[in-house]
Amino acid sequence: MGLGLAGYLVRRLLWAVPVLIAVSMLVFLALRFTPGDPVDTLLGNRYDEELAAQLRARYGYDQPIPVQYVKYVQNLLQGDLGVSTKHVDFSVAEVILPKIRVSAAMGIMAVVVGFGLGIPIGVFAARRRGSFLDPLTIGSWLLLDSIPVFVVVPWAMWLFALTLGWVNLSYGGVFHPNIILPVLLISLPGVAGVARIMRASIIQVMGEDYLRTARAKGLREWTVVTRHLMRNALLPMITVIGLALPGIFAGALFTELLFGIPGVGREYLEALLARDYDVVLALVLFGSALFVFANIAVDMAYGFIDPRVRVGAARETG
Amino acid sequence: MSNRTLGLMMGGVVLLIVAVAIVFVFVVAGGDGGDDDTAPVSTDPTATTDPTAVTDPTESPAGDGDAASTPAATEAARGDGERVSGICGENRLITFGSDPATVLDPIQVGDADTAVYVTEIFGGLVTLDLDLNVQPDIAERWEVSDDGMVYTFFLRDDAVFHNGRRVTAEDFKYSFERAADPANFSPTARDYLGNIAGVLDKLGGSADEVRGVRVIDESTLRIELLRPISYFLQELTYTVAFVVDREQVEDDPRGWTRNPVGTGPFRLKSWRPLEELVLVPHERYHLGPPKLDEVVFQLGGGSLLTRFENDEIHVSPVPATELPGVLSGESDLSDLYRPAPQLSLSYLGMNVNEPPFDDPLVRQAFALAINREAINEALYFNAFLVADGIVPPTMPGYAADVSSYPYDPERAAELLARSRYAGNMPRITLTYSGSGGDPPDTLQAYLQQWRDALGVEVELEAIEWAAYLRELRRGTMQMYGAGWIADYPDPENFIGKLFGGDSETNHTGYASERVDALLREAAILGDNERRYQLYREAEQIVIDDAPVIPTFWGIDHYLVRDCVLNWPDVGTIVPKYRHIEIDTTRE
Repeated sequence: MGLGLAGYLVRRLLWAVPVLIAVSMLVFLALRFTPGDPVDTLLGNRYDEELAAQLRARYGYDQPIPVQYVKYVQNLLQGDLGVSTKHVDFSVAEVILPKIRVSAAMGIMAVVVGFGLGIPIGVFAARRRGSFLDPLTIGSWLLLDSIPVFVVVPWAMWLFALTLGWVNLSYGGVFHPNIILPVLLISLPGVAGVARIMRASIIQVMGEDYLRTARAKGLREWTVVTRHLMRNALLPMITVIGLALPGIFAGALFTELLFGIPGVGREYLEALLARDYDVVLALVLFGSALFVFANIAVDMAYGFIDPRVRVGAARETG
Repeated sequence: MSNRTLGLMMGGVVLLIVAVAIVFVFVVAGGDGGDDDTAPVSTDPTATTDPTAVTDPTESPAGDGDAASTPAATEAARGDGERVSGICGENRLITFGSDPATVLDPIQVGDADTAVYVTEIFGGLVTLDLDLNVQPDIAERWEVSDDGMVYTFFLRDDAVFHNGRRVTAEDFKYSFERAADPANFSPTARDYLGNIAGVLDKLGGSADEVRGVRVIDESTLRIELLRPISYFLQELTYTVAFVVDREQVEDDPRGWTRNPVGTGPFRLKSWRPLEELVLVPHERYHLGPPKLDEVVFQLGGGSLLTRFENDEIHVSPVPATELPGVLSGESDLSDLYRPAPQLSLSYLGMNVNEPPFDDPLVRQAFALAINREAINEALYFNAFLVADGIVPPTMPGYAADVSSYPYDPERAAELLARSRYAGNMPRITLTYSGSGGDPPDTLQAYLQQWRDALGVEVELEAIEWAAYLRELRRGTMQMYGAGWIADYPDPENFIGKLFGGDSETNHTGYASERVDALLREAAILGDNERRYQLYREAEQIVIDDAPVIPTFWGIDHYLVRDCVLNWPDVGTIVPKYRHIEIDTTRE
C-alpha cells in the first residue's frame, strides 16, 4: 500500500467524525424532545414528584439540554456509553454487548448463506443467458424477496415446525440448530438481489476486451479466470457484502420478535419505548459507525482488488 | 467457462466471504466468536408491559409479544394430537415470562414482570396463598396491639437464606431500612412502607434509621405504625418488604442481583436477558420445598402458541385473536384452556373537570350506552368478565351487590338530553396507549355504540406509553382507556388508590367527601367484614357518580399441558411454582 492510500484512509476516517457527531446530536435532541422521559416510564403509575425530581437529578436530566449533551460527549470520549436507566446502575455496554454478539453472529451467518447461494445462482443465470432458465431462476428468487418477512415467518413456522416437524422454534443460542430457520429467513430474501448483481457483473466482464486479450495471448484458463474474470466480477460484490452487514442489523427486527431472539433489533425497540436514552443513543451510534466504517472498508477493499481504484497509486503494469 | 474453473471461482468467493466474516466477528464481537451462551448475566430494558395497561381484553393476556401463529397453525395441530412429546418426560416446567424490567432487587420492583421472579426467589414476614389470603411466611405468628398501631412478629427458627444462614429480626430491620434509604431510590417504599413510623423520615433524609422497626431479640420484630392501617399485612406481602442478605448486598452492592440470595422457594440458576430465566428449588424452604426440579421461563416472547403446539413449552398464553379458535371447542387446544382471573380492571376514565364530562349526566349516559356483553360475546366468545362493578370477584371482600350500569340506550339518550351539553356537545377525544396499527376492537365498538345511542362522535387518539403516562399524570386527557392491576388483595387498593381525593393515582380529578370519609373510616377498622361493607358503599357511590366506566375484569388465558399437575388458576402474582409438578408418565 502506498502512502497515497494511507492518506486516503486517514482522510476518510477524519470525515467519519463530523458524521457521527451530527448523528449523535440529532438523536440526542430527538430523544430529549420526545414526550415522556426515562423517569416517567421508570415510575409509571407510582409517579411521585419528589422521587421523580431526585431521579432526574441523579441522571442529570434536570440540567439544560446542551449541558447534558456536552457531558454525554465527554463521557463518550472516555469510552463511557452511559448507564441504562431501566436497569439500575448497569452500564450501557453491559446491556447491549450480548445483543450485539447475537445479531453479529446471525448477521454473518445470513451473509454467508445469502452470498453463498446468490453468487452461484447469479453465475448460473449468466451462463444460461438467453435461455428461459435465466429469467426463471432470478424471478423465482425475487418472489421470496417480495413477500414481507412477517408473512413468511408464520408460514415457515407452520410448515417446518408444525407440519414437517423438522425444527423447533425455541431460541437456544446462536450456535444451536434452532437458529437455522431464522437465519434462512433473514438471508433468503436477499439472494435474488445478490444473484442479479453477480449475473450482470459476469456478463459484463465476459464481454470485456482484456478478457479476450488475456485468452488471445495464450494465458491458461485458470489464470484468466482468477486474475481477470474473478477480480473484476467480484468487485461489485464487495460493495454489496460490505453494505449488507450493517443492513442486517437493522433488518432482523421482525425475525427477532417472532422467534424470540435476543438481538439488537428487539433491544432497540424496547429501549426506545422505555426511553432508555443512553441505550438508544449507543445503538444508533453503533449502527451509524458500522455503516460509515463499512463504506470505508469497501472502498479500501476496492483498492486491493482493482488497481484502477487505488488513489494516488503509481500506475502498475499487469 | 469450464465447470472446473467455475467451481474454483466459487470456492474463491466462499473463502472471501468467510474471511470478511471472521474479520467482522473479531471487530464487532470482541473476538469471542459471537457465542451468546457465555454472555454474562446482565440486564436489558425490555418488557414494555406496564402493570396497569394490559388489562384491556384486546391486549394479549400476559403482555407478552403477541403470538404470531396463524389460524392455519391452529388448524395443523388439530389432526395431529399424537405427536410424541419430550417435554413431559422431565420434572422440569417450561413456561414463558417477560424479561425482568429491572434488576432482581425486591425494593426496585414496581412492575408485574419482575415481581413474578422476585416473589419466588425472595420472601418476607408474610405471604399470600393461592386464594390471596395473608399467610405466615418467615413470621410464624404475630400479635397486634389493641389500638392497631403495633405489630409484633415472631420469626420461625427454621427459615434460612439460600446460603443456609438463618433469617433473624436483624435482617428484617436492615432490609426495611435499606428500602427506605433515599440513596436506593425505591419506587415503592413510600407506597407500601410509608405507614411504618419513621420510614418517611428516612426517605426524606431527616433520620438515619427507621424508628418504627425494632429488634426485640433474634426472633422477634416489632413494627410500629403511624396510624392503624387495616390492610397493613397485605402491604407487607409486596416485594419491597422482603428480606435480603445483608452480607451479600454490602459485599457487592451493584452486582448481587445477578445471583441473589433470598429466602424464597426457588433460587436463580441462570438468567440470560431476553432469552431465558431458570429457577431451581431451595431445598430447605421452610414452607415445603418445590416439587419441580427446575422452572424455565422463556423470555423471548414471539410465537409462543406455535411453540406450545409444537410441544416445546408446557404453558402458553392465548392471544386475544386466537381465543375464538381455542374456545370454539373444536380445537385440540380447547381441553387445555385454563383461564385465571386477575385482580384487574379495564375502564374508561373521564376527566370530571373538563367539558363535557364535568356533567355527571353525560358520564352516566356514556356508561349506559355501551353494550359490554355484546362485545364480549361477539369478539371474545365471552372469554372476559364484564365488570359489573369496580372490585373484581376474586378480591377478598367482593360482594355481588354492587352493580355498574346495564346497557340501556333509551335511558342513555334521555340522560344526555337532560344534560348541560344537550345539543352543544364539544369535540370528544378518547386517548389510549398504543403504538400504531388499528385501534383495539373494543374501543371501536364503544365508538359505534355511542354514535348509535347518543348520536355523539368520539375521536380516537393513540399515544405511546411513555407519553401516555405523562398525560395521565397531568390530567390532560378528556377521556382515556386505562387499566388497574391490584398491588395487594384488598378492596382499598382499587377504591382508595383510584378514587381517593388525595391519591396520586386518581387521574380523573374525582373527589367525593362521602367516599373519602368512608375510606378514612375503613382504613382503621380491625373488623374485615365491616370494613369490606364500607368499601362496597364507597364503590357504589363512585359508580353512581361515574368518573369511570368499568368495562372488563381481566382474565389470563393460558393453555397448560395435561402433564402439568396442580397448575393454580391464579392471575395474581403470588408464589405458586412450588406447588406444581410434572407427571412424567403422561403426555
